Amino acid sequence: MNKKLVSPSLKRGLTFGIVMIIFVLIDLDVMVATMLSKLFGANVIRGSLPDVGFMVLFLILFGMFVGWSTSSDDAKPTTKLFQALVAGLTLGVVLGLFDLILNQLIVTGTDVRKYLAALAPESIRLFLFDQGAISPLLHLGLFTVASLLGSLMKILLKSESASRFFKGVKSGYQGLQAKAQANTPNWVKKYGKFLLFLLIGLLAFFLPRIWGSYNNYVVGLVGLYVILGIGLNIIVGLSGQLMLGFAAFFAMGAYSVALLNAPLPHGIMLGFWPSLLIGILMAVVAAVLLGLPVMGMRGDYLAIVTLGFGEIIRILLKSDLLTSFTGGPRGIQDIRGPTLFGQSFSSDIDYTYIILVVMVLSIFIYKRLERSRTGRAWLAVKEDTKVAQATGVNIMTNKLLALCLGAAFAGLAGGIFAARNQFTGPNDHQLMVSMNILSILIVGGVNSIPGIILGAFTLKGLPEILREIENYRLLVFGGLLVVMMISRPEGLWPATRPNIEKDEGNKLKEDGAPGKGGLND
Amino acid sequence: MTDPIIQVKNVSKIFGGLTAVNQVDIEVPEKYIYSIIGPNGAGKTTLFNCISGFYFPEKGEVLFYGDPIQGLSTNLVAWLGISRTYQNIRLFSNLTAVENILIGLHPNLKTNWFEAIIHTKRFQKEESGSVKEALRLLDYVGLKGYGDFLAKNLPYGLQRRLEIGRALANQPKLLLLDEPTAGMNMNETAEATHFIKRLRDELGITIILIEHDMKVVMGISDRISVLDYGTKIAEGNAAEIQANPRVIEAYLGPGGAALSEKYKKQRLSNAKSN
Repeated sequence: MNKKLVSPSLKRGLTFGIVMIIFVLIDLDVMVATMLSKLFGANVIRGSLPDVGFMVLFLILFGMFVGWSTSSDDAKPTTKLFQALVAGLTLGVVLGLFDLILNQLIVTGTDVRKYLAALAPESIRLFLFDQGAISPLLHLGLFTVASLLGSLMKILLKSESASRFFKGVKSGYQGLQAKAQANTPNWVKKYGKFLLFLLIGLLAFFLPRIWGSYNNYVVGLVGLYVILGIGLNIIVGLSGQLMLGFAAFFAMGAYSVALLNAPLPHGIMLGFWPSLLIGILMAVVAAVLLGLPVMGMRGDYLAIVTLGFGEIIRILLKSDLLTSFTGGPRGIQDIRGPTLFGQSFSSDIDYTYIILVVMVLSIFIYKRLERSRTGRAWLAVKEDTKVAQATGVNIMTNKLLALCLGAAFAGLAGGIFAARNQFTGPNDHQLMVSMNILSILIVGGVNSIPGIILGAFTLKGLPEILREIENYRLLVFGGLLVVMMISRPEGLWPATRPNIEKDEGNKLKEDGAPGKGGLND
Repeated sequence: MTDPIIQVKNVSKIFGGLTAVNQVDIEVPEKYIYSIIGPNGAGKTTLFNCISGFYFPEKGEVLFYGDPIQGLSTNLVAWLGISRTYQNIRLFSNLTAVENILIGLHPNLKTNWFEAIIHTKRFQKEESGSVKEALRLLDYVGLKGYGDFLAKNLPYGLQRRLEIGRALANQPKLLLLDEPTAGMNMNETAEATHFIKRLRDELGITIILIEHDMKVVMGISDRISVLDYGTKIAEGNAAEIQANPRVIEAYLGPGGAALSEKYKKQRLSNAKSN
């Protein structure tokens, strides 16, 4: 075979070999094996190691992925297998050499944790399958076979007969769907949506009572970030102002509720609901104060100014100067929760209810704003500010309005957040909060509500559920962002524009009002 | 001659040391198609920008129905009833065609964001009315069936039409078209010319046109002004402009007028001998 075929496969094997070595060095291999074992229902106690079989499984999956990705799409099956063979062998040789070093470490009893904190001898033994000197050979064989397997899988799944099979399944499914649609009785068509909402409502009512306080905490956190995401989306996604200090508005809401509703430092005890309203108002006031001077800025300049604004607010809250007023770096404790009809309404279940209701309300308001004159004006400003203005949109008022409404959502979320934690301090309002919210938009999909929910769940919910990856959170985070930007640059669930002509045209036809005029008549 | 809809009086626009527009006077009567021509860099688009509020002229006045409008921000100018299109198409490219026209309707609508949230009767009525109007305009500019395409995905000719549709949405009294037939082939140009004429005849809109295609200019203009190096060098109807030696020199360089005379004579004699 010619050189052109060998060298890319060699390179690929080498690259993945290095990737695997890095995985081993930071102990990521053991973590993935642990997660795999959990996936299969094994009960792994924290700190203990998973069964060696799961490590084998992980390495096989890794090898198969290498084989799959190395075999080029348009090559003949034999060529594909050959490419996979080369890549697998290279991978095996690279890791075999690495194994020799690791084995030496075990034999001499050197502890490298001084330099590589994660690389415990037990982890190394697990990676070497506890076989000592023959493990390089085991790895070589395993990766070669796995790589060939991956290639074989690609050949089978991408072959013509396979694609015909999938097409058949798809058309069969569509046929079934059409049949089902034709057979649905009228009342289902009419009230189906309503019933669905009812079902979701009932679930939202009963689930928080059943699934325990930890899940309530996670759902509440995701819900709060959805509200924040919607707020920021009005500013960034609709009106196109890159805002990096969003946590400042969040802090406004949180501190308003905290200061007006905690025994220290002021002891005003105004009650939760009025102070929440004041919190929203304070956030809007802050937005106006920030917005008026910076309205003329755009892009990077605006981003830097708002970044500075966020930091100023946080540092002010922390400063010694204001300690008697804001509680200083230690924050404010014992924030009183909300009451409803004279009853305390501040258990974790109640907070989940509050957050879910506010979230649904936020989505509702967002949807209505988006499909209105104001929403369209914002989008126009984002697309082309000068042309939007020349089309008759008042840039100043619309931009400021977007900033204020977005800030109002942040103030709302902040107030609930502070009361739920019964505590708020400067560390709750760091730059990372703003970055997280922006990441939710980017990962989920700008201007898309399902995208924001998905993004909030991915970035805030998953890390809570997958506590194992705690140490690798930033790594996974960064990796996810890179993969996302390459494979789905518009987000997990990108926004689509409404089909106004199709929808409204049908409506007009039903009204019996034909379109008039036209160049082509 | 009816009352002028727009008067440009002694307008100058200076960028640093360069006088892009130099003491230009233009008067456009109502329901005229008025063309501004001139070589590249003559200041035609700058003059447009002065009228539509993009630039604030250093000297002179722009009067719309006798009221000065220079220095007003562009959204107010649009609100008064002056719409424009751009030399290099500037649509809201990630929005659909219908949405582009809906944004054009913006200055005519009155409901605010709060009414949008609580869906008042007035809001619903206005919203459905504006959608209906947008669809009508879409049909009028010949984009029926393309309404749900993203503006950036439309073919070039349709993008030009959509831009005109968006400009028509706020029911302008004066329409500024900046090279509406640039980059079109002969058929498309003829169609566009016909369309511009229809705008004036059916909707009664006054049109100022910047155009390089002399066939278009000479075919539909009621009056033509020629700019060169920021100065107006000639004004008149098509025949007067064609005969003006200064115009020919501006396009062909010094001595151009004589040259063109010579070729004209040659062609005439050729025609005779044939």
